[in-house]
Amino acid sequence: MLEKIYLGIDVGSVSTNIVAIDEENNLISKSYMRTEGQPIETVKQGIQALKKELDGKYEVAGVGATGSGRQLAGILVGADVVKNEITAHATATVNAVPEVRTIFEIGGQDSKIIFLKDGLITDFAMNTVCAAGTGSFLDHQAERLRIPIQDFGEYALRAERKIRIAGRCTVFAESDMISKQQFGFSKEEIINGLCEALVRNYLNNLGRGKKIEPPYVFQGGVAANVGIRAAFEKELGEKVIIPKNFDVMGSLGAALLAKEYLQSTGQKTKFRGFEVADIDFVPTSFECTGCSNLCEVIKVEIDGEIAAMWGDKCGRWTNNIR
Amino acid sequence: MKITFPYMGTTLAYKKFLDLLGHETISPPKPNQRTFDLGVKYSPEFACFPLKVITGSYLEAVEQGAEVIVTSGGHGPCRAGFYGELHRKILHSMGYDVDVIVIDSIRRDFKTVMQNIRRIKGKNSWRKLLWAARLTYRLIKALDDFEMQIQTKAAYEVSKGDCWRTWDKIQGILENIWTDRELEAAQKRCQKIIDQIPIREVPEEEKIRIGIVGEIYVVMESSVNMQIEKVLGDFGCEVRRSHYLSQWLDDNVMPKFLGKSREEEILKKGEKYIQIQIGGHAKETMGHIVDYRDQGFDGVIHLMPFGCLPELVCQSIMPKAMEELNIPVLTIALDEQTGIANNLTRIEAFIDLIKNKKRKRISRAG
Repeated sequence: MLEKIYLGIDVGSVSTNIVAIDEENNLISKSYMRTEGQPIETVKQGIQALKKELDGKYEVAGVGATGSGRQLAGILVGADVVKNEITAHATATVNAVPEVRTIFEIGGQDSKIIFLKDGLITDFAMNTVCAAGTGSFLDHQAERLRIPIQDFGEYALRAERKIRIAGRCTVFAESDMISKQQFGFSKEEIINGLCEALVRNYLNNLGRGKKIEPPYVFQGGVAANVGIRAAFEKELGEKVIIPKNFDVMGSLGAALLAKEYLQSTGQKTKFRGFEVADIDFVPTSFECTGCSNLCEVIKVEIDGEIAAMWGDKCGRWTNNIR
Repeated sequence: MKITFPYMGTTLAYKKFLDLLGHETISPPKPNQRTFDLGVKYSPEFACFPLKVITGSYLEAVEQGAEVIVTSGGHGPCRAGFYGELHRKILHSMGYDVDVIVIDSIRRDFKTVMQNIRRIKGKNSWRKLLWAARLTYRLIKALDDFEMQIQTKAAYEVSKGDCWRTWDKIQGILENIWTDRELEAAQKRCQKIIDQIPIREVPEEEKIRIGIVGEIYVVMESSVNMQIEKVLGDFGCEVRRSHYLSQWLDDNVMPKFLGKSREEEILKKGEKYIQIQIGGHAKETMGHIVDYRDQGFDGVIHLMPFGCLPELVCQSIMPKAMEELNIPVLTIALDEQTGIANNLTRIEAFIDLIKNKKRKRISRAG
């Protein structure tokens, strides 16, 4: 009999991550792709790649989906669990660092802070839309300074002097940065200033007077940035733990949740198989004119048959799926 | 004179009152994208979302020929107290010659309120006015009672959407009552319809009860709060709001000698966190959170218009209140943004948090 594995799919606005774990929660495979506005294609490609890697060697016993595209991805692959990012992230973190009290998660388009006690979430906050305090802020500034984002953190660590850059809003930060440039500060110093500004903004914006207690865990794509990590440690005066799989914690959590769910209920997985990469999956939307709400209803067809509908406030369409 | 009013919650009651007095009333449409667009275009950019939506509502009513607007006054030093004036100014500057009658709390300014009431009374006798007021009040009580039943049942409905569709039907029935006898008959009919909604049996310990607190407009008007009650119902949660029209009337219109109002009790409960009235519904918000905890609710969702100062003050007290009261609170700021994916994520995570907390409590007890 083939060894059982569980898949976790995290479809975010910037990246799509897929992981596979075994019964002992060991990571078997992980992939990180750019979503580039094409969640369906990206998930299909990911599954295709996974098929080459794992098909015939393992049996997929469960699938979990998370991220802002979780609903669509869940229908596409036939997920057993479709969970929000906050619960998914915390699940993975508690699995890696059971005693964790505060999670800093900084991704491309959003950032979160999650507070826990005894392995349970007690409070959380999420920042979206505002770029200050997210990865895209750094991305943008790295581009301005013509430095590859991968090297950004290293630059910060080489700074000799400290400068302060306003971090509340990227617009302020940018004008501050330009004026500091004109004063003759080096790129390294400016980047360090930026990292500190991001951390300050993150803690102010999401922490909002909440008690932030160690152990701290820092995850999400931005955790790869050593400059930000150093800025966190400086600001908090405490070590910040970066888990081994910091960049795929969302999908890892989704896989763990799927495993837990299927093991506790004894159900069989709804996974459509690796063949999903080849099926014809067409989401469309239309404006329902049934009432003045004018809901935008999303309809998903698989091989010409309606597989799911949602977005209607009254349930007129959602209820009609068999 | 054609009269209109701001759209908030079950407006059929305001319309009924004016209709009973023989006025020609114009009910603005339930706020929709066009209302928001109009309101955002013709209101000051920094104003809060409720002001903008109401501007939009007024404009839609004026388009339909409304000449007089009847609205309530604000509470303490919140900008809402100034809304009547501001709306009058905006509408006048746009060339609409409308009159705005602001009814403040009768407990604060008896004389002006009486003057305004006299205007609404028109040529009707005082007896008729009292009769209309009494019938409307009974209607509002009935509406609130049915709505609360819906808010409970929606968590357990078998077929999605049943409850809120029934609620629309009930409003349609109650819209057509003109006498006390008709009201009583309609109430019986509505109760029967509600009782017929099939529901799932859920063990008591798995039930989740959530209270919604915050600024009155975003709490009461579902079109600006992402239909939060329906969303929570779909997640299997029973819901109560900190504001119901009948309670507002009890607190603001009923003369004080008729007894201590519920509002005073709530304010007393909020005192621990906010000692003085700082405007808007800030003190009530904190009071209601304490009250919901006392009633054994599992969590509270705190709604505020983006940039609302009183509610921002509450938000900054929340970490302390959550810790002391041991009740989870989720604050959501609302504005003209219509994408709700983000907030759905927050709400889903919040409900997970509540479920886990409950589970832990149960396993400890057992």
